[in-house]
Amino acid sequence: MDTERSTLIEHIMRWFNLKRLIFTIMLTFFLISVLFPFYWMVSSSFKSYAEIGGREAVYIPGALRWDAYRELFDPNSPAFQDFLTNIINTIKVAVPTSLIAVFLSVLGSYAIARLHFRGKNILLNGILLVYLFPGVLLIIPLFAMLARIGDAIGFNIQDNLAVLILTYLAQTLPVALYMLTNYFRTIPDEIEQAALIDGCSRFQVMWRITLPLAVPALVTVGIYTFMIAWNEFLYAMVFLNNHNLFTMPLKISAIYNNPDPRPHVVMAASTIMTIPIVMLFLLMERYLTEGLTAGGVKG
Amino acid sequence: MRTNSKSNLKKQTRGSLARKEAQLAGILITPTILIVFGLVLFPAFFSIWVSFHDVSLGNLNDVFHAPFVGFDNYVRVFNDFAFKFQGVDSWGAAVTSIVYSFASTILTMIIGLIASLLLNQKFRLRGLTRSVFLAPYVAPIVSVAFVWRWILDPRPSGVLNDILMRLGLIDLPKAYLATRGLAILLVIIFQAWRYFPFAMLMILARLQAIDGTLYEAAEVDGANTWQKFLYITIPELRYVLGAIFLLRLIWTFNKFDDIFLLTNGGYGTNVLPVLTYQFSFKLFNFGAGAAAAMILLIVLAIFMALYIGIVMKKIEE
Repeated sequence: MDTERSTLIEHIMRWFNLKRLIFTIMLTFFLISVLFPFYWMVSSSFKSYAEIGGREAVYIPGALRWDAYRELFDPNSPAFQDFLTNIINTIKVAVPTSLIAVFLSVLGSYAIARLHFRGKNILLNGILLVYLFPGVLLIIPLFAMLARIGDAIGFNIQDNLAVLILTYLAQTLPVALYMLTNYFRTIPDEIEQAALIDGCSRFQVMWRITLPLAVPALVTVGIYTFMIAWNEFLYAMVFLNNHNLFTMPLKISAIYNNPDPRPHVVMAASTIMTIPIVMLFLLMERYLTEGLTAGGVKG
Repeated sequence: MRTNSKSNLKKQTRGSLARKEAQLAGILITPTILIVFGLVLFPAFFSIWVSFHDVSLGNLNDVFHAPFVGFDNYVRVFNDFAFKFQGVDSWGAAVTSIVYSFASTILTMIIGLIASLLLNQKFRLRGLTRSVFLAPYVAPIVSVAFVWRWILDPRPSGVLNDILMRLGLIDLPKAYLATRGLAILLVIIFQAWRYFPFAMLMILARLQAIDGTLYEAAEVDGANTWQKFLYITIPELRYVLGAIFLLRLIWTFNKFDDIFLLTNGGYGTNVLPVLTYQFSFKLFNFGAGAAAAMILLIVLAIFMALYIGIVMKKIEE
C-alpha cells in the first residue's frame, strides 16, 4: 500500500515537472480567455429577460429558453425584430460581392501572373498599398462622389444595396487579386504553354486548365470576400438608413442601442451571425489558414 | 538571305504575339482597374480636395463647386477639443490614436508570441487548440464587440461585475467602458484578445521553419531554455516580428469598428478614424472630416513608408 502510494506520487512528480505546470496553466488560461466570451454569447442567448437583468449574473441559463430567438423571428412576439429580413439583406450583399470579386479577380490576377505587359509590378504594388488604406478615409469622398453621380443619373445612393455591393468590391478586390495572383504563380506555366502550342486560345487555357487547378484558391478567395461583406459595418451604417434594408451588423447595433436594453436578444442575433462564419472556417480550415496570414481578414 | 527573312518573320510573329498578349491583359484587368481606381484611388485624391473646401450636407449635391477655404478645415480640426492634447486627463484623438495603436500592437504581439510558443509544443489535440485560438480573429467584429460590452456591462448582472463583487474586490458595480483610463485599457486588451491569432499564425509558421540543429548545438553547449529562446528563437523571428508589428500598427491605426462599437469613442477612447466619422456623419462637416482623415493619412504614410522600406525589401531579399 505504502510503496504503491509512493510510486504513484513519484509518477505524478515525474509527470508534473515545473515546465509542464507552467505550460498547462498558460494553455488553460488561453483556452478560458478565448472561449469564455463565446460561451457567454451563446448561453446568454438562452436566458430569460429576468435572468439578464437580475441582481446577479446567471452563469448557466435555468432552461433552454427561446425567448430571444422568438423575439427575432416570431411575428407574434411583442417586440418582433424581423431578423430574417436582415439575414436576407446580408446574404443579398455578401453573395454578389463574393461572386463578382472572384470573377473579376480571376481575370485580373491571371493577366498579372501570366501575361506580360508594362507597368505590371507597379500595378500589383499599387493594389497592395490600396489594401492598407483606411476605409474611413474613403467613405467621405465616396459618399460625396456617389451622391453627385446618383443625382446626375437619377438613383439614390442611400438605401441602395447595389451601391453597397460596389463599395464592398472596392474593399475586397485588392486582397482577392493579391491572393489569386500568388496562387496562379505557383501553377507551372509549362502545362499552359503545351496547350497553347496545341492550338488552344488563352481563354480555353484559362477555362480548361488553369481554373480547374485553382479551385481551392477560388474557394478561399470566395469565402474571404464573403466574410468581409458579411461583417462590414461602417459603409453599411453610412449608406443604409431604412431599417428594412439593414444588414445584420447594423441591426444588432440597433437592438443594442435600444433604450430598453435586451442583451439576450443581441446575443441571440450575434450567435446567428457568428455561427455560419465559424463553421465555414472550421470546415475549410486547411485552405483558409494560409489566407489569414496573407491578410484575408483585413484588420 | 533566306535565314534572315525567316528570323525576321519569327521576330514579327513574336512581336504581334506580345502585342496580342498585352491587349488581352488589358481587357482582363480593365474591370478591376476601373473599380479600384474609380472607387479607391480617385476618392483618395478627391478627399484631399474635399479637405480644402467647405463641404456640408447643404452643398453635397453640388460638391464640385464647394467654396475653397484653404487650411480652415485643418485649423478647425487642430483646435477641436476632441483632437487636441489637453493634459494627461484629456489626451485628444491624435495622442490617443498613437498610444492606442502602439500599445495594442505590442500587447497583441506578446500574446501572439506566447500562444505560438505554446502551440509549438507537442501535445494531444494541438490542431484543435490552434483552431479554437483562431476564433476571436475569425468571428464577426460586431458579435465579439457586443459580447465584450455585455461582459463588461455596468449592471450587477454584468459578469465581470458579478465576479469581482463575489471576490470582494469591488463593492459596487462599475461602468468599465464609461470610466476614463479604464476604457482605453480595456479597448487595448480587447485588441490583443481579438488580433493575437494573426500574430500567432505568422510566428508559428516561422517557428516551425527554424532549423532544429541550432537548438541541439545550443544544448550541447549547455544553454538553458531561456538562453535558447533569447539567442536562437528571437533572432530567427526578427523579420516576422517586424512585419507583424508594422502591419498591425497600420491596421490598428486605421481601425474604426472596434472603438466605435465598444465605446462610441467616448471616455478617453476617441481615435482619429472615429473623429473623422463624427465630423462627417454626425456634424455633417465633410471638409473637417476629410481634414481629419488627411492627418490620419499623413501619419499612416510614415508607417507605410517604413513597411515598404523595411519589410518588403527584406522579403525581396
